[in-house]
Amino acid sequence: MTVAVVENWVEDPLRRFVGDARVRLALLLHPSGQVLGQSGFTRAIDVMSACALAAAIFASAGELGNQLDGRPFHVLHHAGKERQIFIAPARTPRGLYIFLTVFDRESSLGLVQLYFAEFEQRLASAAPPIEPPQVVLAENFERDLNHNLAALFGRA
Amino acid sequence: MSATPFSDVLAALTRQRGVLGSMVVSEADGIIVDSNLQIGVKGNVVAALAASLYRKARLSAGAAGLGTANFVQLEAERGRVCAIGRGDLLLVTVAESRANVGLIRVEMLRATQVLEQ
Repeated sequence: MTVAVVENWVEDPLRRFVGDARVRLALLLHPSGQVLGQSGFTRAIDVMSACALAAAIFASAGELGNQLDGRPFHVLHHAGKERQIFIAPARTPRGLYIFLTVFDRESSLGLVQLYFAEFEQRLASAAPPIEPPQVVLAENFERDLNHNLAALFGRA
Repeated sequence: MSATPFSDVLAALTRQRGVLGSMVVSEADGIIVDSNLQIGVKGNVVAALAASLYRKARLSAGAAGLGTANFVQLEAERGRVCAIGRGDLLLVTVAESRANVGLIRVEMLRATQVLEQ
């Protein structure tokens, strides 16, 4: 399965997770909704949609947990009839990222949890040193998003 | 952890000589329902992988026209993993090489009656 990344250090952990866990789709994104890497998607519009929804779901679930229990909900799992979705935070020295994966009967929740833990460790190990913080401007969001999508689908 | 309907059978299995642990696992999810494990046995890992292995073995047996896979046994250098399924649940046992696999198999088959309830 093809793995495409915006930043090279993401590729090996993502590729190993997809190979080990036998998932259909995998997506790593910044909490703002910017994509860092993907596997299994064929259209940029699908990646954009999935990133936006995953970021919103993660933020909403976190706030819901805060309201209910004083602590944010972290890992989310939804089992559909044919496919299941798993969303979880991936913590690295560079900050928090959101991981989303979709799997079917070829995998299982237990396997996804198992290999996600390994993925998070590899991602944290592979993360390069933190760069000086840059001001994130709303006006640059769309430009950066388009650039990342072009990089993922080989049009950069 | 509070007692489950499987606690007694798991305790009886793990008391067998050479058995390192036993678990009831959801076959579809690979998630532990209940377990009785010695320290050092990575229950969550074994549960996820054993469930996947059992499912593949069941599909293989079906594809080969051999019917349902009853008992799956993985032999390794220092022991074995045994799995037997009933319905949505799987009974998994991890044992050292010195364990009496015949006795373990009998005990596991007897224990599946609890899984069926």
